[in-house]
Amino acid sequence: MNVPSEHLLFLAAGLFAIGVLGFLIRRNVIIVLMCIELMLNAANLTFLAASRQHSTAQVANLDGAVFSIFVILVAACEAAVGLALIIALFRLKQTVEADSLSEMKG
Amino acid sequence: MAEILFYVLSAAALLFGLGVVLAKSPMMSVLSLLGSFFCLAIIYLLAGFQFLAAAQILVYAGAILVLFLFVIMLLNLGEMGAIAERSNSFLDSTSARIGAVIAVGMGVVGLAAASRAAFQPVRVEPGTGLDGLEAIATELFGRYSLAFEAASILLLATIVAVIALAKRQRRGLKDGGRA
Repeated sequence: MNVPSEHLLFLAAGLFAIGVLGFLIRRNVIIVLMCIELMLNAANLTFLAASRQHSTAQVANLDGAVFSIFVILVAACEAAVGLALIIALFRLKQTVEADSLSEMKG
Repeated sequence: MAEILFYVLSAAALLFGLGVVLAKSPMMSVLSLLGSFFCLAIIYLLAGFQFLAAAQILVYAGAILVLFLFVIMLLNLGEMGAIAERSNSFLDSTSARIGAVIAVGMGVVGLAAASRAAFQPVRVEPGTGLDGLEAIATELFGRYSLAFEAASILLLATIVAVIALAKRQRRGLKDGGRA
């Protein structure tokens, strides 16, 4: 694929912006978590674009790929804990709307 | 050919991403996210990261999204979430407008940063492939072995945390809802 790495970064920026948009305007906590996953994917794409940019035809740079593996791992952990929290909250409050979860407002 | 495919898949990934944000029901959001992840996996494949593409499908699409689907079905949010959100018209409020402005701003800043970065032309030949599995394993268990061990501790901590969250709830239900 002869696409310049900038275009990978354009795609990553677009995906990240969509993730931020959803994170800020949606109230359903599950969809907020999904938007975080979208942003993590955009970060992955940025790592891979940088890795690709710093590779030569002879020597491949794999730092971005290794970082992406760790990002995927952290995303899996975050989804597991986040969804467990959502289930606990749902049992407590019978809702997943962020606006109705305001016990910690102080 | 691969270039055209890349741009088509990029557009599809962005559209599916918008689908995640704008879908009325959480189920449609998950399916949009699935589409976005598949498009990204094929883009990884085109860019030469075969192992990452496989990990993307297996871990993201296979494990994380199934977890999301489980929770949505378990809590029966198919219709309830949609109705609750439709009633307070989430695109009209002030916070939604501020959110949209911030997101657009971040997108513009990201695009500007990406376009201003002075890149050299890509030197990777198409078809050579960047990440052999062996090379990735060598990196992972060589230079990054400490991070690899830390990741295993993170996974263990996650398992303990999730079990603790689930178990406390059950005990709370058993002695009359006081948790």
